[in-house]
Order: sequence, then structure tokens, then C-alpha cells
Amino acid sequence: MDLLGQVLINGILLGGLYAMMALGLALVWGVLNIVNLAHGAFIMLGAYVSLYLFTYAHIDPFLGLPITAAVMFAIGYGVQRGILNLIVRAPMFNTLLITFGLEVVLTYLAQLAFSADFRTINPTYAGDSIVLGPVVLPLARLMAFGVAIALTVGMWLFLLHTRLGRAIRATAQNLVAARLYGVEPRHLYAVTFGIGIALAGAAGGLYGTVSQINPYIGAGLTAKSFAISIIGGLDNPLGVIVGGLFLGILESLTALYIGPTYADVASFGVLVLVLIVRPTGLLGKAA
Amino acid sequence: MLKFSGLPATLAAAAVAMTLGAMSSGPALAKDIVLGASVQLTGPVANTGRYYRDAYQLAVDKINEAGGVKIGDETYKLALKIYDNQSDVNLSVRQYTQLVSRDNVNFLLGPFASNFALADSAVSEKYKIPMVQGGGASDQIFARNFKYIFGTLAPASNYFGSTIEMMKELDPPPKTVALLYADDAFDVSVAEGTRPKLKAAGFTIAMDERYSTNATDFNSLLSQIKSKNVDAVLVAGHETEILNFVRQAKSLAVAPKMYSFTVGVPSEDFRKALGKDADYAFGMTAWLPSADLKDRWFGDAAQFASAFKAKFGYDPDYHAASGAADVEALVKAMEDAGTIDPAKVRDALAKVDFESLYGRIAFDNNGQIDLPQTVIQVQGDALVPIYGVHGKVAPPKYPMPAWNAR
Repeated sequence: MDLLGQVLINGILLGGLYAMMALGLALVWGVLNIVNLAHGAFIMLGAYVSLYLFTYAHIDPFLGLPITAAVMFAIGYGVQRGILNLIVRAPMFNTLLITFGLEVVLTYLAQLAFSADFRTINPTYAGDSIVLGPVVLPLARLMAFGVAIALTVGMWLFLLHTRLGRAIRATAQNLVAARLYGVEPRHLYAVTFGIGIALAGAAGGLYGTVSQINPYIGAGLTAKSFAISIIGGLDNPLGVIVGGLFLGILESLTALYIGPTYADVASFGVLVLVLIVRPTGLLGKAA
Repeated sequence: MLKFSGLPATLAAAAVAMTLGAMSSGPALAKDIVLGASVQLTGPVANTGRYYRDAYQLAVDKINEAGGVKIGDETYKLALKIYDNQSDVNLSVRQYTQLVSRDNVNFLLGPFASNFALADSAVSEKYKIPMVQGGGASDQIFARNFKYIFGTLAPASNYFGSTIEMMKELDPPPKTVALLYADDAFDVSVAEGTRPKLKAAGFTIAMDERYSTNATDFNSLLSQIKSKNVDAVLVAGHETEILNFVRQAKSLAVAPKMYSFTVGVPSEDFRKALGKDADYAFGMTAWLPSADLKDRWFGDAAQFASAFKAKFGYDPDYHAASGAADVEALVKAMEDAGTIDPAKVRDALAKVDFESLYGRIAFDNNGQIDLPQTVIQVQGDALVPIYGVHGKVAPPKYPMPAWNAR
């Protein structure tokens, strides 16, 4: 029973990190209709930004998250204005191609800049834990979980209640009407993509404190974020929390009861099931 | 049109230069023996792939500096032709095919990792060009009666052999063992070899779990290790997985009496990435840069290690030593055969027996050498040899203390 409790806790904390990873992808996908295959590469870049802030400027990875997010926002804004804006209304296939290309370029640039060595962001408290009776809560994962939930809920409130958030949603729903009300889509798209990449960067900072990083982690993270977005649905940022937690718990329990090799089988199996049964996601509106 | 006007002049200059080059080098040095390889220079295992590229280069340069390879009355220089397979096994098979069929290299050196060597050795076998590889240890590579594949890593099935011998002498001896392994050719071979050895030594295998290569989350496995109170954990996996494993063990406060890993511990960047958390980790290596390992070209293994570090800026580990030994084995075989005919060099390779910076190189009938693994442990900042062929060398730090008691 203690083991089950511990594994459930592990799954929930993992799920929080998953939600954080998928948040930016779901936002960009929902608003711009771009499935950003370079999303994981941006998470990787964010992890390196946090690593360098920590190693050379001695900025705590959690306190440094706003800086990481700001740097990544600037990169995201630039990438959207300079590259993605050219294809924002092109067929889906073109956006897939260009973001795939971006992923390859970013990965190999990262290898040139940072080498293929494995790195970790390792503040002194990274391995600490809180013992609650029979279960252990890893501190860094718990903090990452807190940040992830706060940012996701914050994103939800931002989209619902701020002028910029409403403009973003309006553009996603009806571009012509949004323009008539004075929304400048080019700027707005770039801001949205920038926010998506800033969130990816923050996720990278958190990822680096609990896992190892190297230039090649991106592709796997994109796949996971993609699955979470589908399972949770794109209508609502809270969907990624549901998707992330669902996947985190599912993988942990599968590893415990069936075997660790089946964790990925389970998560992508569920992805297929959701696509068949509820194509708009668990929280999505009925199709 | 203007921009093409320089082309004929350039071509003419190049032709003159080539003629001059051929003339000035003299007839005896006119020929190169080309060694071809496809190595992971980019992609997820590039940080191990580089050991091979750098070791091949260093060995080739050293042999050329010493005058090259004398075969009969002629002296040849060695040349390298290396492709980057981007850590993609299908691409590496295509590149080896290109090396033998289009580039017409004389001999092949290996890639890193068992799954690569397993696939690539089909090319050397088909074209009957000997490949000496120091990157694949899986017993599967040598279980197919191939004639043209030779390997200088000790068999995967015996990686934990010396560790299990050491475990029997620990005080208090561990009773229960968890065997965790990734689902690739090398690690499956390790697990298959380790299982019967553990049983024969009287240990109880409390967990025997296979996980997916590139897994990042080990929390469920670690929680089971804790709940079953396992004494010793043996992990056969990849560096990325083992880094995550150790970090997550710390964050879940899981500290078995000992743990040992097939890879990572000997390599510098693994210890750097973990910092103090690498302490107490056991590993194994078939090679340490000792001055006792005499070598015809480098003097000894210690001199090889310092030359390597001076040239490339990082410490070599057994991957690099094994790669350098591959070049030396080919050279020895060519000299013994007195020809560069691939079939004759192949037969000479099967018979070589010489001391090198990596140890004694003599291939078994299946093409693999057998070197004992020395158990090593991270102790503070140092990497300490603990248990070798002749038993205990230095006292192990055992049992491992709880994480909050360090």
C-alpha cells in the first residue's frame, strides 16, 4: 500500500512537469494552428539558458525562471515574425515541415554551442526530499509541480480575463471579426508564439533540475507534449493539467504493475484511444 | 559568367600541385592504406562516439610519425576516412557500404555501440573486408560465425563478473539484488550473462526488470527497490538513463547498500554532471591508464592517456583505448601477413597476439577478445580501482550511507 501511495505521488509530480511541458505547445497549436515540432528543442534551449544562468551567474534555477522565460520569449517572438509568419495560413503540412526543420537546426546548433556532453542543473537542494509518513516527496519535483500548476492556472486566467488574452482567443476563433475590432494579427501571433516559447523555456528550466539535459532531448519531449495536448484537449489550458496528470499517473502505474518497457506503450495507446473516442480531448467540447 | 573564369586556372594549379605532391613524396611513400569508419559524431551518443574518432586519429598519426607500416619492402602511410552516422544505425550501414564499395577503403574500423556493430558487421562480412571494432561488446555480434568481424571489448555477458566476485567478499554481504537493464543488444546480453552468475553466487534476485532505452523516469523502479529493501542494484543501461537514475534515487532518498552501473562511471563528464552525487557509485572498466601496459607505438598506456588529453583536451577512457588498439591490431596483422590482401590480413588477425596500451590483444575463435573487468568506485573526487583479476586492490566504500547522512 505504501508502495502504491509512493508511486501515485511520483505519477502526480511527474504529471505536473508534463503539463508544464505541454502548455506552450497547446497554446500555439490552439491559437495559431501550428503544431510546433520544434517545441521540445525550445524546452532544451530553455534548459541550457537556466543552466548557464545557474553555472555562471549563480542564479537559482527557480528564481531565474522569469529571466529564462524572457530570453525565450524574445527568441520565440523573433522566430514567429521572421520565419513562421510566412506560413501561418499555409496548409498544415508546410507548418509541420518548417517546424521540423527548425527542430533539426536548433538541435545541431545546440550541439555546436554546448557540445553533446550531458549536463544537470544541480542546486544544493536538488536532491532533498520531504518525508510524509510512508511517502517521500522530492523537493525539486514538488517545486516544479507548484510552478507548473501556478503557470497553467495563470495562463487560463490570462486568456479569460485580460485584454491581450481575449484578443488571442478572439483571433483563434474568428480572425476577420478580430481584425475588425482592431487586433493586429501579425503582432498578436508573434506575442502568442513568444508566450508559448517562454513557457517551453520555463519548462526546460524545471526539467533540468530533475533530469539530465543534452542537445537531443527535444524530439522525445515534443512527442510527449503532443500526446498530452491531444489527451487534454486544446480548448482550455486546464486540459493540459488533466492530460499531464493522466499520463504521469498512467506511466508510473504501468511501470509498477506491468513493467517499465510498457510505459510508453500505455501512454501512446491511450493517445490512440482518445483520438478514436474523444477526438477533442478529455476536457474538449463534444465534437 | 565572370565568376567561373577562375575555375580552369584553379584546376590546372591543382593538377600541378598533385603531380608535385606525388613526386616529392617519393615512390616508397606513394601509397596510403585507408582505414574507414562510420562513427557517431553528432546525435545522442556523440559524446561517446568522439572517443573513437579521436583515438583512431591519434593512433594513425602516431604510427605515421614513426614511419608508417612496413610491408615487405614497401612502407605505407595510414589514412583515415570517417563518416558521421548521426547516431543513426541505418545511416551507418549505408556509410559502411559506401566505404567498401565506392571509397574502396582497405580495412574497416568500428562504430560505437553494440547495436551499430551488430548491423555494420553484416557489411564487412558481405564484402569480405576485415572490421576491427572496439565499440560493440554484445555477445550477439560474435555468435553468428562471421569471419571478418573482430572485437576488442570484453564480452557484455561478463561485465558484472568481477563485481559479483567482489560482492561475495563484502561485509556484510548483500543478499538481495535488483537487476535492471535497457532493452538494447548490449544491455540484454549483460543481463543474460549476469543472471546465472548471480544465482551461482547464491544471491536472491529480488527484481529483474527490463526498461525502454531512453527512459527518463525511474521513480516506479526506485520506489520498488526501496519497498523491497534491495541490498545491491546492478544497472545495465546508457549514461543518460544512469544520470537520471542516480538523481532520482537521491530525490526519493533511495540508498541501497551498493549500486553499480555498466557505463558512465569511468567517464569524466558523467562524474562532472553528477558532482558529489556520483560518490559511492561502482562501475567497471577493462582498462586503466597504467604504465604497466607497454605499447610499441606509444610506450605505455599512461603516455597514451597524456598524449590523448594533450591533443583533445579530455581524458580517454576504455572506449578510446579500445579504439586505438583496433588500429594497432590491423597494423600488426598487415605486417604479419606481409600484404594488404583483405583475406590474408583477416587470417593474420585471427592469429595476432601482442601486448598493447589496452592490454593483450588475441582474438578467440569467435573474433572477440577476453579482458577481465576491474571494479571501480567513485570515492570523493577520485576514481579508485577496487577489485581486479587477482582480487581486492583497494577497500570499497561499503555500505553506501543514506543520502542525508553524507
